[in-house]
Amino acid sequence: MALEWKNLSFSRQILPVIALVGLIAAVIFIFTGLPDRALTEPDREPPRAPDAMAETARVAGSGVVEPSSEVIQIGSALSGLVTGLFVEPGQRVGEGEALFTVDDRAARAALREAQASITEARASIAEARNAQAIAARQLALYRNVDDPAAVSRAEVIRAEGETSSASERLKLAQARLQAAEARANSARTEIGRLTVRAPIAGEILAVNIRKGEYVSTMGGGGSQPFIEMGQTQPLHVRIDIDEEQAPRVALGEPATVSPRGAAERQVKATFVRAEPLVVPKRSLTNSAAERVDVRVLQVIYALPKADGLFRVGQQVDAYIPANSAAGGEAE
Amino acid sequence: MIWIAIRMLTGDAQKFYGLVFGIAFSTLLITQQLTIFVNLIERGASGVYNVSNADVWVMDPVSRTTDVAYAMPSTALDKVRSVEGVEWAVPHIRAQAAVRTSTGDLEGVAVIGVDDATLIGLPKRMLEGAPDVLDQPDSVIIDDVGTTRMFPDESPIGKRLELNDQRAVIRGVADAIPSFTSTVVLYTKYSQALRYVPGTRNRLSFVLVGAEHGVSADELAKRITDQTGLRARTRDEFAQDGVDFIIQNTGIPFNFGITVMLGFIVGIAIVGLTFSLFIRDNIKQFGALKAIGVTNAKIRRMVASQAALVGLVGYGLGIVGTVLFIWGFAGNPTFKGFYVPWQIPLVSLVAVFLILALTGWLALRNVLKTEPASVFR
Repeated sequence: MALEWKNLSFSRQILPVIALVGLIAAVIFIFTGLPDRALTEPDREPPRAPDAMAETARVAGSGVVEPSSEVIQIGSALSGLVTGLFVEPGQRVGEGEALFTVDDRAARAALREAQASITEARASIAEARNAQAIAARQLALYRNVDDPAAVSRAEVIRAEGETSSASERLKLAQARLQAAEARANSARTEIGRLTVRAPIAGEILAVNIRKGEYVSTMGGGGSQPFIEMGQTQPLHVRIDIDEEQAPRVALGEPATVSPRGAAERQVKATFVRAEPLVVPKRSLTNSAAERVDVRVLQVIYALPKADGLFRVGQQVDAYIPANSAAGGEAE
Repeated sequence: MIWIAIRMLTGDAQKFYGLVFGIAFSTLLITQQLTIFVNLIERGASGVYNVSNADVWVMDPVSRTTDVAYAMPSTALDKVRSVEGVEWAVPHIRAQAAVRTSTGDLEGVAVIGVDDATLIGLPKRMLEGAPDVLDQPDSVIIDDVGTTRMFPDESPIGKRLELNDQRAVIRGVADAIPSFTSTVVLYTKYSQALRYVPGTRNRLSFVLVGAEHGVSADELAKRITDQTGLRARTRDEFAQDGVDFIIQNTGIPFNFGITVMLGFIVGIAIVGLTFSLFIRDNIKQFGALKAIGVTNAKIRRMVASQAALVGLVGYGLGIVGTVLFIWGFAGNPTFKGFYVPWQIPLVSLVAVFLILALTGWLALRNVLKTEPASVFR
């Protein structure tokens, strides 16, 4: 087997070499071309069960952040134009602080009218007292005359009548005063009702009215509340738990809560209460035609202070420890 | 002595090339057809393999594949999250929708909604843009095969579409393996997908699950099924489900099986006939060799080395042909993501070995019976 150039045979030497080189190239191609199906870790942190709960029984739920007082949708007792607005979103208010006023010109006019009536009634009282005094003195004068011939019987009767009618006029005037005072009070109450005040101390969450807009007692346009407020210190979170999972929840245990989009920032929330009513799941797809057959138990937890991490209305993911008994069954 | 056998083989060029061609042709036929077959049915699993993060897929008990899925209520996500060993779980929606293009055409698309916060469920690689583009309003990411179908010869970036009366702007192109039907795929956020797909009551198609370290996917899937009553499949199981669905519902395995059998039969016929003819022509030479005292064992070795050379050259050329085919069509969207599974060349190697062993054994029978005296006849 001499490998000399002259004796080089295509079929005996070159072809097998080509075949071998081709095979090696093919093997390389095949092994570099295999599809990449390796599992990878997600780029962004997904909500994970806290380490402490990783290997124990747990229940997961999702929920929405709310004020500890729940959201109060401020209404108006009377309808009319908004003439004054004293708060803006984010502002903290004390209990009884004025939020907005509704046009009170009509009520104030009624008050002035009532006050005029009071003045008038007082004048009538003075006048009646005066008349009563004159009549009483006249009657006394007649009574002190000893000579029956000096004063006619008719004169005495007239004087007696004048006295009693003067005291009746006084009573009437006093009654008028009371009526006018009552009217004034009712006008003042009306004016008071036209100023809408904060029912509790808390934070203003939304203001949906502007000066000059008309508020009606039936609620705002598109059933938007005029002002939404609530106590945001502390915040609560309302966790929905599927009714099938509900018996497993260890009520009273703290929950681990993280906001959507910042799953790595988990906080411990303390148990407040479980709602006694199991309600249909509120889906957040905003579809008007939504029907539900899933019911959820709502459990309320208090969030610790975490600067701006949680906001009212935000969605959160939560992990709650499960009952050890139920956990035992699951395994 | 072996060298003599090789010279004997290559001495008759016609027969030698006939043999090489026969082996090369059947290798090519078997390897190439099997490759296309495997890749085609693996298209049924592309939806699973495109998601590179999920260890386990959870679905309604009646769901079968990524495309044949029945939606679950949204609390299924929390049920799954409650299971021990689940490190994370995210929602995933897959649905069909009709899209109106800027030119007014209607095109059926698959809308895939990935988790809003983590974007788990997107393919691993992007051709254009980054996954972050989904954070912009009304964004969708189109897959590359969809691009060639909907926007031939132009860039899809910035194109506006109309989905369920909603605006969608294409802001990225994903590098994904197309599905069996090569539907255009639009990736978007879960919340966005709910708006793009006309509403039904339950929308959640899948829950994608990552397993805790130290918990195997099989065990976790079993646990989820036990505890939630939902169907949990590991990634590989679910990929297999997709493949099985195509095998059960199409005639593809039967058709390709026939072609592979044809390759085998053609190989046997050509190689067998040529090899027998070649041996018969050289029977005098073998007789002469026997006359000078060459044993049967040596003759067997000679024939074996002849078969080995034919096999090597033929098999090599056949495999090279397959690789060239796959390489040449790699840019074609129809063949996007096609690869040669390493098992297939081994299968064809076994086939080549069987062909050569069978025909060589048949041809050798005559030689071994030949008496040295035959050289004088």
